[in-house]
Amino acid sequence: MSNDTLSRRNFLRTTGLGSAGLFLGLYLPDAARAMIMTEHEALAADVYTELTAWVLIEPTGKVTLMCHRAEMGQGVYHSIAQIIAEELEVDLASVDIKFAQGNEKKYGSQLTGGSSTIRGSYKNSLKLSASARVVLTMAAAARWAVPIAECYAESGHVIHKPTGKKFHFGELVVEAAKLKAPENIALKPRSAYKLIGKPLHRKDTPMKTNGSAIFGLDKRIPGMVFAAVERNPRLRGKIKSFDDSATRKIPGVTNVIKIAMGVYEMDREGVAVVATSTWAALQGKKALKIEWDDTGFEHVNSLEIFSKQRELLKTEEGRILTTQGDPNGVITQSKDLLDVVYETPYQSHCAMEPLNCIAHHRGDTVEIWGPVQAPNWIQDYISKKMGIAFEKVIVNMTFLGGGFGRKALTDYPHEALVISKAIGLPVQVVWTREDDATQGPFRPGISYRCQGVIDGNKNISAIKFRMAGQNNDHFRSGDNGKANRSTSEGWLKPYFESIKNISFADVTFKTPIPTIFWRSVYASTNGFAYESFVNELAHKSGKDPLEFRREHLKEERTQKLLDKVAEVSGWKNKGKGFGMAVTECFGTTVAQVVKVSKSKGGKLKIDQVWAVVDCGWYVNPDIIHAQVEGAIVMGLGAATIHEITFKDGLVEQHNFYDYKMPRITDIPPIEVHIMENNEDAGGIGEPGLPPFAPALTDAIFDLTGKRIRKLPFDMASI
Amino acid sequence: MISLNVNDQNFEIDADPDMPLLWAIRDLIGLTGTKFGCGVAQCGACVVHLNGEAVRSCVTKVSRAAGQNVLTIEGLSKNNDHPLQIAWNEENVPQCGYCHSGQIMSAAVLLREKPNPSDADIDMAMAGNICRCGTYPRIRKAIHMAAELSKKGGITK
Amino acid sequence: MTNKIKNYAKGHRGITRMTYVMGTILSLVTIMAFALHEDEKPFVASKKIVVVKDSVASVAAFHKVYKVLMSPRCMNCHPSGDIPLQGDDSHLHTMNPQRGVEGKGLYAMKCANCHQPTNTPGKNTPPGNPNWHLPPANMKMVFQGRSPYQLAKQLVNPKQNGNKDLKKLIEHADDGLVLAGWNPGEGRTLPPMSHAEFKKAWITWLTTGAYAPKAK
Repeated sequence: MSNDTLSRRNFLRTTGLGSAGLFLGLYLPDAARAMIMTEHEALAADVYTELTAWVLIEPTGKVTLMCHRAEMGQGVYHSIAQIIAEELEVDLASVDIKFAQGNEKKYGSQLTGGSSTIRGSYKNSLKLSASARVVLTMAAAARWAVPIAECYAESGHVIHKPTGKKFHFGELVVEAAKLKAPENIALKPRSAYKLIGKPLHRKDTPMKTNGSAIFGLDKRIPGMVFAAVERNPRLRGKIKSFDDSATRKIPGVTNVIKIAMGVYEMDREGVAVVATSTWAALQGKKALKIEWDDTGFEHVNSLEIFSKQRELLKTEEGRILTTQGDPNGVITQSKDLLDVVYETPYQSHCAMEPLNCIAHHRGDTVEIWGPVQAPNWIQDYISKKMGIAFEKVIVNMTFLGGGFGRKALTDYPHEALVISKAIGLPVQVVWTREDDATQGPFRPGISYRCQGVIDGNKNISAIKFRMAGQNNDHFRSGDNGKANRSTSEGWLKPYFESIKNISFADVTFKTPIPTIFWRSVYASTNGFAYESFVNELAHKSGKDPLEFRREHLKEERTQKLLDKVAEVSGWKNKGKGFGMAVTECFGTTVAQVVKVSKSKGGKLKIDQVWAVVDCGWYVNPDIIHAQVEGAIVMGLGAATIHEITFKDGLVEQHNFYDYKMPRITDIPPIEVHIMENNEDAGGIGEPGLPPFAPALTDAIFDLTGKRIRKLPFDMASI
Repeated sequence: MISLNVNDQNFEIDADPDMPLLWAIRDLIGLTGTKFGCGVAQCGACVVHLNGEAVRSCVTKVSRAAGQNVLTIEGLSKNNDHPLQIAWNEENVPQCGYCHSGQIMSAAVLLREKPNPSDADIDMAMAGNICRCGTYPRIRKAIHMAAELSKKGGITK
Repeated sequence: MTNKIKNYAKGHRGITRMTYVMGTILSLVTIMAFALHEDEKPFVASKKIVVVKDSVASVAAFHKVYKVLMSPRCMNCHPSGDIPLQGDDSHLHTMNPQRGVEGKGLYAMKCANCHQPTNTPGKNTPPGNPNWHLPPANMKMVFQGRSPYQLAKQLVNPKQNGNKDLKKLIEHADDGLVLAGWNPGEGRTLPPMSHAEFKKAWITWLTTGAYAPKAK
């Protein structure tokens, strides 16, 4: 993948489509555009015409489509193009795809999180691409002096139907860019799609099988050097003193600098070792002797964290997020209350590509190259923190070797810029796996107190959920006194129809441990607590967990989903060892059934997982399958293998030997099905994860009678 | 100076003999397809072939490879058409893609030594390679497909 | 850099010198052939009288030997299954590497792919040896789960010990991989006694008749 092939050309600064109304409704005057054009882009300036922010066409007919979001495995590099190509009428095989730079005005938010890329942009994208096709068609019709209705676009050409004459898009684009597309262009009905809805091969796959995909760590900038940083291992705090005499003796080490990296509102000190190779920097880091100053930092311990959460949940009512009826009244009067606590651990993201970033501080402009999920957040943070004009913070995205939420934070680009500023050179900062695993931010560890009452019809009459765990928002925007807005994330809305008395509350719990979203965010932990609790209530009422849900989730779309998961898993005639759960997050509902058994030796084994996904309108079913398979594997690891624990303020895990990952030998067969409907698109990168743990633990309950309320648990000990 | 033969090309590099082969390949020779994942031989992202064996370049000193033949993902085939590469593309295996250089290089040794591997063989060969995206079911399928492709004379593309 | 190369070479000279000293020690032990009797009879040398039978001393020496052989540094590569063990708690080796026919692993998971000729620096990194392997499939020499009696019998049974005679058994105390137990890499506990003590116990056991402790 090269961003450089557009260079040596003349960029025609036509705004495209006669009006910039098509740029997501945002008009960008030429002057502003010139300002945000980077040095890099300016060099590349040349003979392509930008028909929409995502569509660049050269006179030869070569079409380049922009990917404005981060590609971290979830497939947007491909699926954005699959959408555009459909309405633009170009061959997907022949287009190039390039990563856009950070430019919110042009592309809208580029924060790649909340499974938002497709669901947030597909309607606009279809419309823009159709408009682009129409102006190209208009240009051709005008040149032939024929009615537009006699012309159509196909495979990057406009064809005059009666005569068979054709122009390729490159011959039309300059004129087309001056035309205004009509309003209300009819979009294709789903039945007419040639690309959307098809399991097309991802366009980034070939680069990922021959080593040519450029991830952050692979990016090279002329004159760049390498750096590794030893940071305060207690997550915050300062340096008392350090001795770099051994470090400076290592051949290749050029600079040793005390730095501070901004992690949210705090500064974390460290010593950066700059060198001519990664290896020299890593060796230099190892040779440092640092005395840390932890004054004011609470030395947290995991045991205390979770016992404190339990204590709080005994008495505190917390901040109410949502409530209906009188759950307290029903619960107080109940003689048969189910009242239990679930516990979910802190987790590290541990993407396969450790954090890294290249930065070049040039004085009044700065440039970043790296695996980043939130280019605009970096622009915002750096401009405020370092006093650089927002548009002078240039952010270039590479492929991400996994992100899972961690690479949305601005700390590591900031750190790289601090080092570059000090040495005046472009520098690539490389985090070791140990840095990546131990230094957070982490998914918060959360305890949930769940209380519920079954009525005379053996249905749920009241539910009261309280969670005690850190609120990620407190780090990003402070404590606004309100409940964590994600307290009910994961919970299906139709439950509110059938359960008359219900409340969700957030019992404020703070520690100095920095936290951030982790794949599927609070749904990843809420889902375990809330859906396990529904399962427990089902068993208490003597009902089948799937039937129990049918009775509590009356909404038609959910009923269909339940029918489907029952059908594919053979639920009706199931034997022992089956469990299920359903969660909703980011606009997509996923139901899963897990089947477990024990071998003759007594070893517990997952025989099969069935997942049914209702994500509404979708682009590429194969990517959906892949995302749900992957989410289940990640959920399996988080439920049964790894957790981050703290002792005396230090993380106790370091690398894959003590923060173990699922391996190929641990993976059950996984079957994924997609619901077909015409509802709005939901997200797909995350929603497959939350239902796995509660489905698995209920399957274990079904088989063994053992109820698991604390994650992770060891399958071998069941 | 240390002499290395990487992908049939000779390189003379000025490296600390203790430098891991990984960093010599990436930083000195400039081939970045081989990845850094853990640095302690746990994840397999850095697998390259040293005289045909799937060594972990993050713990293999460059001195061990001196004068030997090293093959990286970039050298596995000229046109991305090794049966494993074809199968990886056909089965849409990668997600983020970061671990797959190592996955493919490990699988290549498996196929050479066991052209028709069973699921158990795949387990035995591939349990050393971590994929955080969870592409394992597809890795398994793709290895079986590559075995079939090889049987048919390999390259059908 | 040059310094490092020099140190490296010096290390080699050290090893060479040590081997020479060992050789001298070995030559002091009379070299002989021996025959092993099945059943309960002690192990005797056939020609020269170098084995001085002493069942009490022999069993006492074996108890020391047993402690070492059952320590994680020795037992981890003498597992009851075909996957080596790992760590001071002797858990199954992560990623399930297999013994393979020659004991050197299988496919992409050969011992030497991770285990280098020397220890990799740092904690939790692969320990190294130029000849890192498990016993081969046809001579598994299992330690894990063996009682003192079973292990003693097994060690001197040529059908189970790779056809080693007394001379070869004595030599084996100085095998590179045996010695590696005492150079296990950062963060790993050592066997419960020094190599010299172990070797003394080993030779004592063998040269006092290689008596096995009573079966329980």
